[in-house]
Amino acid sequence: MSTKKDRLPEWTKTAVGLVLGGIGFILPLIVQFDGLTFAGHLALGIFLMAAVFWMLEPIPIYSTSMLVILLQVILLSTQGPLFKDSSLPQTQPIEISEHVWQLPATALDGTTIHLRKRATVSEALEVEVLERGEMVIVRSENINAASSIVADYRHKLVGYEPVSYTRFFGTLASPIIILFLGGFMLAAGAVKYNLDKNITNVLLKPFGTKPMFIVLGLMLVTATLSAFMSNTATTAMMMTVAIPIAMQVSKEDKFRIMLALCIPIAANIGGMATPIGTPPNAIVIAALNAQGLGIAFGSWMAIMVPLVILLLLAAWGTMRVLFPPTVETFKLKLESAFDRSGKAIMLYILFGMTVLLWVTEAQHGIPSGMVAFLPIAGLTVTSVLSKEDVRSLPWEVLWLVAGGIALGISMENTGLAIWLVSTISWDMFPQLVLLLVFGFVALMLSNFLSNTVTATLLIPLAISMGTSGIAGEGFSLVITSLVIGAGCNMAMLLPISTPPNAIAMSTGFIKTPDMVKVGFVIGIVGILSVLAFAALYWPLMID
Amino acid sequence: MSQIYILCVEDEPEVLDVVVRDLSELEEVFPIEMAVNAEEAWDIIKEIKQRGDKIGLAVCDHVMPGQKGVELMIEMQKDPFTQRTRKLLLTGQAGLDATIEAVNKAKLNRYISKPWDPVELLRIARDELTTFVIEQEKDMLPYMAVLDIERIQEAIRTKGTISDY
Repeated sequence: MSTKKDRLPEWTKTAVGLVLGGIGFILPLIVQFDGLTFAGHLALGIFLMAAVFWMLEPIPIYSTSMLVILLQVILLSTQGPLFKDSSLPQTQPIEISEHVWQLPATALDGTTIHLRKRATVSEALEVEVLERGEMVIVRSENINAASSIVADYRHKLVGYEPVSYTRFFGTLASPIIILFLGGFMLAAGAVKYNLDKNITNVLLKPFGTKPMFIVLGLMLVTATLSAFMSNTATTAMMMTVAIPIAMQVSKEDKFRIMLALCIPIAANIGGMATPIGTPPNAIVIAALNAQGLGIAFGSWMAIMVPLVILLLLAAWGTMRVLFPPTVETFKLKLESAFDRSGKAIMLYILFGMTVLLWVTEAQHGIPSGMVAFLPIAGLTVTSVLSKEDVRSLPWEVLWLVAGGIALGISMENTGLAIWLVSTISWDMFPQLVLLLVFGFVALMLSNFLSNTVTATLLIPLAISMGTSGIAGEGFSLVITSLVIGAGCNMAMLLPISTPPNAIAMSTGFIKTPDMVKVGFVIGIVGILSVLAFAALYWPLMID
Repeated sequence: MSQIYILCVEDEPEVLDVVVRDLSELEEVFPIEMAVNAEEAWDIIKEIKQRGDKIGLAVCDHVMPGQKGVELMIEMQKDPFTQRTRKLLLTGQAGLDATIEAVNKAKLNRYISKPWDPVELLRIARDELTTFVIEQEKDMLPYMAVLDIERIQEAIRTKGTISDY
């Protein structure tokens, strides 16, 4: 019986989340952190608030993303009230003797001064300080009498060049988002015309009637479909295939557990296989794109598919030991009835062409985001998808990812990300240990948080370690980002870890300990194989 | 998550007990409220409404002292709170006129005649509750285990109510 008392925790949870998020936002505005720019403080406030909101979910995670973009536009854009009409205060150096200059003390930050390049752009310059006081005397060969020096090093524009608000809004139309939109529309078409079900029935046929082969078939088909469709929709669809099989098994038979569990696991793993498989991939790819390190669709698959196959086999083997089937054979009803209407055939053609162009990106050079517009325009031009279908696409996922990308922009360009990671001397650690830390943290966090959110919080840190050079010799931005992405996608310990897990658990066929056992093995095998791939295989793929 | 109730209205206590026993497999997720006449049924409906919960299925006998089962269902159909409730008439004595009225005015979903097959009653109740959950609930997962799992999964697939995060 549900009473008012039972409902109190939900209300309190929301309140606690909102208050903590608010504190997180305000904290950097009242506490001054050393070495962090003014804009970095603002970005830290947004980051802390978003992290709390994403973790405790007092508001939906996509609205947190929207809020992030709103705050960035107001607080950090060129057009926002803080940076509008703002320009760096300037002063001219007074020449004392050759290469020796007198400057106001406020211009000197330790041993650094800032050259004023434009009204909002400055550049740090190390100088030799000869004398300190109200005016300081410095020696430098890099300034002359005409040099414009920033008069106050604490000015809000020092170390931060504000970007236009369109940059933050623009994340929603970034190529990776368009790529996802293309994937969403193809998936919506596949569901509408039952392409996913029919493909499943065709693909499952060769796996025969032996229980372990049926499970292997279910897993391979699930993984293949979830590489192109949402992991959740794939799980729901495959469940409608697995449940009639499970109904043939007695309630005590552990094989029921395997049937219900193999699908979410394969769907989670399969999401790794392509850039559009699951949203965390988008965060990884967007961040790498911003560094000029694009990964072609086909290259991503070449990098990830071996890992996917390995993990699928590991999961299959583990479940075979944990939930051995007692039944000898099964009857499967696999009747495929492909829709032969004109619209359905149009969908098949567009689906095939798009996927073909995606996987051959490296050969023809047309970016996958551009190819994605083929189904976006094509499916509506041909009325394969109606207005209602377009409306019911998971737009909130695009907002979630866009907000994540936008937050990454500010973490990078305000210096926040570097500031966060620079407290530890990372170059002391071997690269493999560094990768282990990132992979492990990603895996642990995303067992409890949204996978996308985990990637959003971690990727900017990895990127800034790479760009700043504090990570030491041999650090690869691409490989570290891939490890984080893989770590986020391998989290499937608990029902709350991913939506597919929640769906499978709700059938009542599985108990949480069953899921934990298999999820644990996948986590361990996953981390170890990711490290092995990162050390041996991936470097060959990405130069 | 709001609680979804099953409401059973039957004037003979022994019969009421049998109905509840036949539906007991659902009770874990869908608590069953019992009433021996229409008046008591309305008290329960009001109470459930006040708590902010819902009634997913009403199983009613027809011949009862006071308001008849069909009349109760017509009233429920007029009340926005119980309009979406799936309605099942479980009776041996409803005449043709009353039955026609129940179909036309109360939008009766199912008719089961007494004596009934317990397996069939459970199957029908499960089916109706599945329809209710698919039509009315944003989050279908908490109810899935005792319902028609295939239909719920299919609804998740086609409605796209759950996304990858």
